[in-house]
Amino acid sequence: MSGGDVELIDLAKSFGRMRAVDGINLHIPGGEFFSLLGSSGCGKTTTLRMIAGFEQPTGGMILLDGADMTGMPPHRRPVNTVFQSYALFPHLNVFDNVAFGLRRAKIESGEVKRRVNEALALVQLTEFERRRPSQMSGGQQQRVALARALVLKPAVLLLDEPLGALDARLRKQLQLELKTLQQQVGITFVYVTHDQEEALTMSDRIAIMSEGHIEQVASPQEMYEAPATIFVADFLGVSNLMTAKALGKDEKGRCRIRLGQFDLVAGQGEVKGGDTKATIRPERVRLEPHGTPGQNRIPGMVERWVYLGNSVQLIVRLETGDTVQALLQNSGDEIPYRAGTPVQVHLPPEALRVLADTGARLALETAEQEDL
Amino acid sequence: MTRHTEPGATVISPRRLIQQNAVRKLSTWIANPWGRPRFLALITWAYILVSIAPVIVAIQFSFNDGRSVTSWQGFNLTRWYWGDPDHSVWHNPALQHTLLQSLKLAGLDILIATPLGVLLALGLARWRGFAANASNFIMLFPLVTPELVMGLALSLVFLHVFTFIEPSTTAQVLGHVTFSLSYVVIIVRGRLFSIGRQYEEAAADLGATPAQALRLVVLPLLLPAILASMMMVFAISIDDFVISQWLSCGASCDTVPIRIYSATRTSSFPSINALAAIMVFLTLSAFGAAYLVQRLMTRGERKSRRGMAKGMFDL
Repeated sequence: MSGGDVELIDLAKSFGRMRAVDGINLHIPGGEFFSLLGSSGCGKTTTLRMIAGFEQPTGGMILLDGADMTGMPPHRRPVNTVFQSYALFPHLNVFDNVAFGLRRAKIESGEVKRRVNEALALVQLTEFERRRPSQMSGGQQQRVALARALVLKPAVLLLDEPLGALDARLRKQLQLELKTLQQQVGITFVYVTHDQEEALTMSDRIAIMSEGHIEQVASPQEMYEAPATIFVADFLGVSNLMTAKALGKDEKGRCRIRLGQFDLVAGQGEVKGGDTKATIRPERVRLEPHGTPGQNRIPGMVERWVYLGNSVQLIVRLETGDTVQALLQNSGDEIPYRAGTPVQVHLPPEALRVLADTGARLALETAEQEDL
Repeated sequence: MTRHTEPGATVISPRRLIQQNAVRKLSTWIANPWGRPRFLALITWAYILVSIAPVIVAIQFSFNDGRSVTSWQGFNLTRWYWGDPDHSVWHNPALQHTLLQSLKLAGLDILIATPLGVLLALGLARWRGFAANASNFIMLFPLVTPELVMGLALSLVFLHVFTFIEPSTTAQVLGHVTFSLSYVVIIVRGRLFSIGRQYEEAAADLGATPAQALRLVVLPLLLPAILASMMMVFAISIDDFVISQWLSCGASCDTVPIRIYSATRTSSFPSINALAAIMVFLTLSAFGAAYLVQRLMTRGERKSRRGMAKGMFDL
């Protein structure tokens, strides 16, 4: 098996005036589970389709294990795709669907039979080889699509939102199965999704895309803990974004910022000065009785109290006018902060991050505009 | 429903009450918003009866046990089909010839128009740009042009442009192909759009060359539409009068419709009705076969994705 090392160099695709993919550079080493994450229209699917060969790039190069694939038609590329709609051939049964690629490669029939059975066993569908795709559930069809692509032992497997059409429970289950499968077969997976949780759960590394370019490439943990841009911070989970002013460094090299009339210290991130955004994850916000003294504490008022089962979500309006979301674990104790209670909001310096205010459109705004 | 007798209201006699109930029952039977749409059904059946009556009468007289096509002289199943040694469809050489001519035209039409139409549909579905749009529009011309104009135009073309083609069976076949090609294109293209490009892309992804993708994936998926359009071409061709007439070479080019038309102006036997009945039967079975094929071959798709099976019956 080849390495499955994918490299995109200044890859671009325009549809008329619209630049769907705006010169991206990416290196995906062999055997990695790599996700392209972004809201719809960000260029992630176009990127995948260019790697598959369904779209001709308008600029840049695609290298696979160092060899240029840019001008190669899809049927000669050693990559296979799992389509969002599965695209199982409705006139063929499961066996013939999975055998389709092997037969095109002129593999003799005994070998075809052996490898199809092997692939079907891999996705636990051994009993189903005589069924038509239409006689199977969505989850089963999805597995057939996987088997059909994996049976060819591609260097790279491309997955275009393969779990998008399934219900939440099945999706969770298949996420784990997909990850296990990928580790088992050791093939490079390039996975396109708009679901941040899916990307975080499965990927070795994630690229977050927005408007045709890449915002950040990082491991899930790094992406979540240390977002490089406001867009990333906002896109990955709920983050409290507050407009602040940078005042310089304190003696420990941490960033001093001014939020309304309060001076705070942010232990994460670096900015030069001037306008900035301060951000903190909801689960890192601490709530204390009103009037508790100390650094990085701002008084506020609980606006809403939402019971989520394993945790309680509190929306607190700070005295600065900003709204902060706090997530408190449900440990069984009474949480005394009902709506209307004045509280002291503690934003621990080690959890508070500053990000340069690039004026980027945020994920939420983007999503809202798409709904229109 | 219980009736409340309000104080001061006129008491209705029991007989009136029964009458009123009967009227109400009838009106709710016809028009009950929660029940079955019987009013619609009544109108539909009335329409079907009215429109089908002439056909039934015509077919009925093909079983007449006499030489009249207007007065009923008893039932004879076979006389005008093959029983009569001189005037039945089977034994009259002229009638037999017209039937064969009609079937020959329809058969050749299917053989030529279907493959051409499928290729044209494939091309037009893939081709983008101004020329493609124009071609798509021009495809509709034979459908919207009055057949008489179409026939006249064709005969002028053969008279002045393609002078090497005399009015003949060849000219008739070419005329039929010109006319029926649009139907093939429209049916096949509809199916192409509904199946989309995803299967072709999947085939290419799995290593199929464009030719293999066409042969192994696209054509099998198009098969119901192709068969449906073959039946459609057959039905159109066998039914055609105007174009066959314009390009006719005389008696030996007569098709069934032409024969029936000329027979009605001279005295005729019920064998003409028998010929017409055979036509109706052939056309109906072509449509029936097309429908069955379509149903059978898209069975799997309808189960999984309702409304995706597209073809001639939901154009």
